[in-house]
Amino acid sequence: MARHGLSNVLRLALRDYWHERLLSLCAIMGLAAVLAPLLLLFGVKHGIIESLTHRLLSDPRNLELVVMGSGRYDASWFTTLGADPRVAFILPQTRSLAATMSLLTPGQTGGPAVTVDLIPTADGDPLLRRWGLPTPGQGQVVLSWSAARKLGLGPGQDLVGRVGRMVAGQRQEARLGLKLAGVLPLEAQAQETAYAPLDLLEATEDYRDGFAVPNLGWEGAPRPESPRVYPSFRLYAKGLDEVAALRDTLLSRKLEVHTRAEEIEAVQSLDRAFTIIFGLLASVAVLGYFAATAANSLANVRRKMRHLGVARLLGFATGDLVWFPMIQAGATSVLGVGVALVLYAVAALVINQHFGPRVCPGEAVCRLSPSHGLVVLVLTLLASVLGAASAAWRVAGIEPSEVLRDV
Amino acid sequence: MSGGEVSSRAVLAAAPGGAVLYQLREVTKRRSLGAGFVLQVPELTIRAGEMVALVGDSGCGKSTLLDLLAMVLRPDGAEAFTFQPAAGARLDVWRAWQGNDQNRLARVRGENLGYVLQTGGLLPFLSVRDNIALSRRLLGLPRQGWTEALAKRLGIANHLSKLPGQLSVGERQRVAIARAMAHQPAVVIADEPTASLDPIRARQIMDLFATLVSQYGATLVLATHDRQAVEHGGFRVVKFVLSQAPRDSSVLARVEG
Repeated sequence: MARHGLSNVLRLALRDYWHERLLSLCAIMGLAAVLAPLLLLFGVKHGIIESLTHRLLSDPRNLELVVMGSGRYDASWFTTLGADPRVAFILPQTRSLAATMSLLTPGQTGGPAVTVDLIPTADGDPLLRRWGLPTPGQGQVVLSWSAARKLGLGPGQDLVGRVGRMVAGQRQEARLGLKLAGVLPLEAQAQETAYAPLDLLEATEDYRDGFAVPNLGWEGAPRPESPRVYPSFRLYAKGLDEVAALRDTLLSRKLEVHTRAEEIEAVQSLDRAFTIIFGLLASVAVLGYFAATAANSLANVRRKMRHLGVARLLGFATGDLVWFPMIQAGATSVLGVGVALVLYAVAALVINQHFGPRVCPGEAVCRLSPSHGLVVLVLTLLASVLGAASAAWRVAGIEPSEVLRDV
Repeated sequence: MSGGEVSSRAVLAAAPGGAVLYQLREVTKRRSLGAGFVLQVPELTIRAGEMVALVGDSGCGKSTLLDLLAMVLRPDGAEAFTFQPAAGARLDVWRAWQGNDQNRLARVRGENLGYVLQTGGLLPFLSVRDNIALSRRLLGLPRQGWTEALAKRLGIANHLSKLPGQLSVGERQRVAIARAMAHQPAVVIADEPTASLDPIRARQIMDLFATLVSQYGATLVLATHDRQAVEHGGFRVVKFVLSQAPRDSSVLARVEG
């Protein structure tokens, strides 16, 4: 009986809703008129912020923290910082003066060599990963576009690296064969650089210091058995939000750090401003919709008092009948959200087509995800059911004997 | 309670049916409209199969008594108020009201009662067919063929797909009667069912109503201000005696019959 009661109330409510379709349509359009501009505003906010964030994220340099000057960082420093959850990638760097190498094509006898800065890399390097390049292994390097162009080499080709030093006024040099693992595009690196495993940078540094590098066959004095200390490092944060936090941590340790946090903060403050404006508008709209639903439901129930009284007479339980205004308000919110989403979709299409040429592929000026639609639906349903609660309360108090006859 | 009343009840007990359906003793209901109104039911027994007419002028308490019998109005006091639609299914209405067991009352109402109002008892947003079938649907009873058969009996078979608003007042009353009877209730309660019709149509519908009720074996309790309308139909007449309450100015209505 109770089961039949509720399903029948559902049926009655929807039939009545359809019977008064003109009024229902007005309520639906009323909701859609409030909701569509809000959706559009939120879509623009979301689309712009997402595009800006996307652009920031697409350049790993925005996540990079560059430590100025040189310090003395030992293994424990790297272990500590490497364990920080905000850190995506950290790798020691050798002395910059020692981290250069002259590159030649195989069999090149004369002509100038291309001198490149060596930059250490390892698995997980955000820069190489961003450009889909492999991590160079032992005896491999990734060259910047300008270095590769000067050498006239492409990926997979061999080249020769040369390191020179002065020992007791005498010029010495060491060579090793290298393989070009990949070329970094110009927009990623404008300088002439080579990305190589840290081992190679350490070997170069040792050789320049006059030591031997046995595994490369480079001669010199044996390197003293002391733990290595690095003057610098490469550091990338996990995400945009972590850059500023990580920078502050480093600043508190008296390190001078250069980041692009200002640009990130500009986007974030734009996001915050948008959110505040949107929040204000949405609160006013929600409040208005809530009040409208309450008034509408209450007026409806009063108008239909007699019918609801008849339903009670027919044996509908009060507990089932209170759903009558709730179901109708729910129908309005579902259909209203539907219409609003359609209106939004049309407007978003126009906006994106108009501004489309100015954004990169994969970006949009106005964009909502399906989960946003779902959240809007749930919130609207909630607001309307709460709005209809007073009407439901009124239904619960219906005395058939008082409403059935026109006294 | 006077001896005369007892004897009149004894006569009525011989009427068809026999099992006690309603038993009311010292039931009172106060309504605070205007100067105040008190309905008193010293003793009222309605047996299954009876056709009872509550006769009196407007404001005499007919509707109040009907609502009490329909279990939609809470009595203020009662020595006894029971409803027994079938053997072994006795409901102590007074106790259910005291326990505020509204859902039980609604269930008993839905299963055992059919109600015809003077006007406007139909839901305007449901078709005639759905209006008639509503009580069966609510009970989860099969609807196949029932609606059509009833509609045919009442001469409204060609209106089934229409909305009530498209029908005349007389046709609407036929629909209301069909709906009240569709789920074969033990009792059909009708409040001035023909008051908004012209006398000829009123007579037709009243006759049809009475015939249907007796054919389906239901009990009919009907309120009317028109004494003539029920004189021919073999109704048992219940009257209301009005008096001024001695203490205040409220009207006292005693049910006698």
